[in-house]
Amino acid sequence: MNLRFHWMLPKGGEVIPGQRQTVQEAARYRIQSTSSSSPAPRPDMPGWVHFVQHAEEAGIDSILISFSRYEPDPLVVSCALGQMTRKMKFIAAYRSGLIQPTSFVQQVNTLSALMPGRVALNIVAGSSKAEQVGYGDLLPHDERYERAEEFLTICRLFWEANGDVNFQGKYYQVDQGKIQTPFVDNHASMPEVYVSGHSEPAERVALSTATCLLRVADTPEKLRPLVARIREHGLEVCLRMEVICRTTREEAISVAESLIPDRNQPDAKRAVASKDDSQMYREGKTLPDNQNHWLNESLWTGLVPYYGPVWTTLLGTPDELANAYLAYKAIGVTQFIMSGWPELDEVVTFGREVIPRVRAAESGKQTTI
Amino acid sequence: MKTAQETSRVLTTKSHSPAALPDLPGWLKFAQAAESMGIESVLLSFSRYEPDTILAACATGQLTTKLKFIVAYRMGLMQPATFVQQINTLSGVIGGRVALNIVAGSSAAEQRGYGDFLEHDERYARADEYLNVCHAFWKSNGEVSFSGKYCQLENGRLLTPFIAPDRQAPEVYVSGHSEQAQQLALKRGSCYLRLIDTPEKLRPVVQKFRQAGVEVCLRLCVICRPTRAEAISAAEALLPDKEIEKQERKILSSSDSQTLKHALSTADNVGWLNENLTAGLVPYYGSSAMTLLGSPDELARIFLEYKRIGVTQFIIAGWPKLDEMLIFGREVLPCIRKAEAQQGGN
Repeated sequence: MNLRFHWMLPKGGEVIPGQRQTVQEAARYRIQSTSSSSPAPRPDMPGWVHFVQHAEEAGIDSILISFSRYEPDPLVVSCALGQMTRKMKFIAAYRSGLIQPTSFVQQVNTLSALMPGRVALNIVAGSSKAEQVGYGDLLPHDERYERAEEFLTICRLFWEANGDVNFQGKYYQVDQGKIQTPFVDNHASMPEVYVSGHSEPAERVALSTATCLLRVADTPEKLRPLVARIREHGLEVCLRMEVICRTTREEAISVAESLIPDRNQPDAKRAVASKDDSQMYREGKTLPDNQNHWLNESLWTGLVPYYGPVWTTLLGTPDELANAYLAYKAIGVTQFIMSGWPELDEVVTFGREVIPRVRAAESGKQTTI
Repeated sequence: MKTAQETSRVLTTKSHSPAALPDLPGWLKFAQAAESMGIESVLLSFSRYEPDTILAACATGQLTTKLKFIVAYRMGLMQPATFVQQINTLSGVIGGRVALNIVAGSSAAEQRGYGDFLEHDERYARADEYLNVCHAFWKSNGEVSFSGKYCQLENGRLLTPFIAPDRQAPEVYVSGHSEQAQQLALKRGSCYLRLIDTPEKLRPVVQKFRQAGVEVCLRLCVICRPTRAEAISAAEALLPDKEIEKQERKILSSSDSQTLKHALSTADNVGWLNENLTAGLVPYYGSSAMTLLGSPDELARIFLEYKRIGVTQFIIAGWPKLDEMLIFGREVLPCIRKAEAQQGGN
């Protein structure tokens, strides 16, 4: 099977058709997107549709729409974008604990029927305690995973059920639940479910209820045992990373290094500090500032201490990047969710330079087997 | 085109009914016709038998330009902050063309299937807290904290605002016939939505709401034909078989909703409320089938009578919905507009 490449939805206002952003401007826009003066929280149909059309042409499989209090609702955004585009799939992130599973299934099924075969879910147990409490969710970290497991178990009962759904759990009770609107897809009776997180509870939830574990990229050597374990259970593994593709390696490195913030800049470390409840962010924080940030020759974590683990960056020439993706494929990783600076330029470059090289190697391999 | 009988609640809630699936082509045809006929909004009802209203409004709104969507939602199915985030996002992708119809719940059995185990009166107490939190988000420029019996949140913040050319919050229609529903509408609604009754019966109710600055919107069905006699025979032709009546009666009588109970007892004890208003179809089509029937002139006169007692809005259905809406737009609405213009345009 060919590798699947996904991309993050740009923030509202990040892509302006006809206007170019520098790499630094793109990074700054994203860093500042959580400030109340940013236009990012406003839905941006013209910019998004422009981006999604280019991503479709580039050969991107799905768009991940993240969930936070700083952004528009991912289900509603998927629905609107699904109507304005033709092929692209959407992975809508949602947190359990914000909605009853029955209502969630009704929304997801409605969405699937409006755009069959184009809806997947990224279930997140929660982010920072402060943000969860602002939604009325008062549970501590580990219990949020227990609840996420119940949440997804109920969702799957609805998707698998021929009759009413009954469930008696610690966090949810459903008595003769029935949702008449089915999940609509020619090939599946339920959506793909990506569960993300680096903690043990996250992995447990993924194994018992998801179709794919989503985590931040690390080196193939480090990931091999985890990927093997997850694949043995029939789940896929998807890696999240930033990507910088340039004609030469030196150029890619200088772009990456140009994003290291001035140490006096007040924005630095904010992303890490604000999500101190997350295992993934704790791991990111333990990377010392002055260490050599190269995990291997392509994978760089120089921005992680400032902006969090999702700024882990894969960089290099088209050939180097294609080889890096194929090395992940060799250990069993099947999917990737990327972003770049600026999103539009990077997705176009990626579709033109990297995907064709990966596909050529994949088809070459198939003929030799 | 479906027959009226096929659109009964009893048949559209069967598991094989196509009513459970979103129907964008059909909805668009209807929405575009409604826009061209001068209909202001469409109401999207909420139940476990139908697609989600917020997403249905989002998809239909992408493909239309003027029509507003009154989205029905029940409290207790998601956190108020999540609900506000969804509604605000919806407003931003369809140019602010969204209003809310807040329903506390329909039947206890249906609510339990959603994981909601509160009884009727408590559902209203929760809806009050819930709407209070929603309004706090719409009013606030900062953080929202609330510590109630049903809703608790600390320093809640949503950066996506409600986006509309003329408002900072959606219109909120609160429906229900019980005392609690009326109190909720007075306290938290911009409009009280209820079933139609005679102008005489409604006058004191309408007065109470208007004095509190809350509008009143009536829910009804319409059968408009060249003469009253033709309208009555059209209504009689709509009657489905006894089995449907038996099943609809079961739904109406087992519900803990005052609206449903009240409509059924009106049908059984009164029948015709006046010479143009009948409850006769309620046992077959449900509580919202209180039907106003007559000629275009009669109907226009009746709508103006409601206007005189202070009613400002109506949500109408018919059988079939598209045909009746076209008749209404072509025959009744122009008569009303003409009379309103003569009265000085208020």
